[in-house]
Amino acid sequence: MRPKLRSPDCLKDDDSGDHDQNEENSTQKDGEKEKSERDKSQSSNKRKAVVPGPAEHPLQYNYTFWYSRRTPGRPTSSQSYEQNIKQIGTFASVEQFWRFYSHMVRPGDLTGHSDFHLFKEGIKPMWEDDANKNGGKWIIRLRKGLASRCWENLILAMLGEQFMVGEEICGAVVSVRFQEDIISIWNKTASDQATTARIRDTLRRVLNLPPNTIMEYKTHTDSIKMPGRLGPQRLLFHNLWKTRLNVP
Amino acid sequence: MSAGGSCGQTPSRAIPATRRVVLSDGAQLPPGDYSTTPGGTLFSTTPGGTRIIYDRKFLMECRNSPVAKTPPRDLPTIPGVTSPPGDEPATEMNPNHLPNSHEDKPGSHEESQFEMDI
Repeated sequence: MRPKLRSPDCLKDDDSGDHDQNEENSTQKDGEKEKSERDKSQSSNKRKAVVPGPAEHPLQYNYTFWYSRRTPGRPTSSQSYEQNIKQIGTFASVEQFWRFYSHMVRPGDLTGHSDFHLFKEGIKPMWEDDANKNGGKWIIRLRKGLASRCWENLILAMLGEQFMVGEEICGAVVSVRFQEDIISIWNKTASDQATTARIRDTLRRVLNLPPNTIMEYKTHTDSIKMPGRLGPQRLLFHNLWKTRLNVP
Repeated sequence: MSAGGSCGQTPSRAIPATRRVVLSDGAQLPPGDYSTTPGGTLFSTTPGGTRIIYDRKFLMECRNSPVAKTPPRDLPTIPGVTSPPGDEPATEMNPNHLPNSHEDKPGSHEESQFEMDI
């Protein structure tokens, strides 16, 4: 039932670089087998299959919380992926969601230039992820003081499958900035207008937005090509992604 | 929705009791003919397969279940962002950085969000 969103290659690249020194030791097939067993257990440490506990309420999809923050005063290009974006954890049920959410600060209380991301498990909160590369996002700019409440309503609607657009939703982001906060919801197919319209209308409903609220849809390819007001975030992810690809 | 047995995954349910939803504003109506009703989704399944749908009210109620209050075992420590158990005395957080607590001021969920000037 759950779609396979993450390609096996993506899974591997998280661990690349970790096993180089082991390779020389295992020359025989048995060694190889042992190594792959070890790899499996290593990656399962990171990504143990998350399932709903007994008597918990399962969600349609598993989701992962991420957090990122731009270090002030340093060019984004010198920052490594690990320094800037952290996986907080993955959950599979309503109760597990609350366990994370209740032990995280509200976005309105974050300091500096930071973001919370909540994406389906297996989708990285980056434009370049397979699930995102043909996608886009609805953006709503909020004056200070509204982010916590709007973020909560947004993610509850996403977790509760209120958008009714099949597999289209990828995740949601709240970006805390100096003058304003921004929430956005990402979907897979930017060209699918029926879907993007339905997401927009659902957003208006679940966020109780006044009718004159400006909502902006941006395709990720446009975001990559044109520096926008989300420039720093764009650069951050773009550079991080490049850094990751350079890992031997 | 077909009356036949084509929705094999969807268990049959009694028709829910009538529920009255008061609308003070046309904007609260769901747009178009989407499979939602004012005040929340009436049926928790959709034709063509079961989808697990929860409305906001239900999700908020789950927040108070005991299991939902335990922090996850593998919650990473990120100062100012997460608060794993046993972390409280070590880091001096200013009051603005306190994690969401279930004792949130009762008013905090009621505050209006219609004052946006965007």
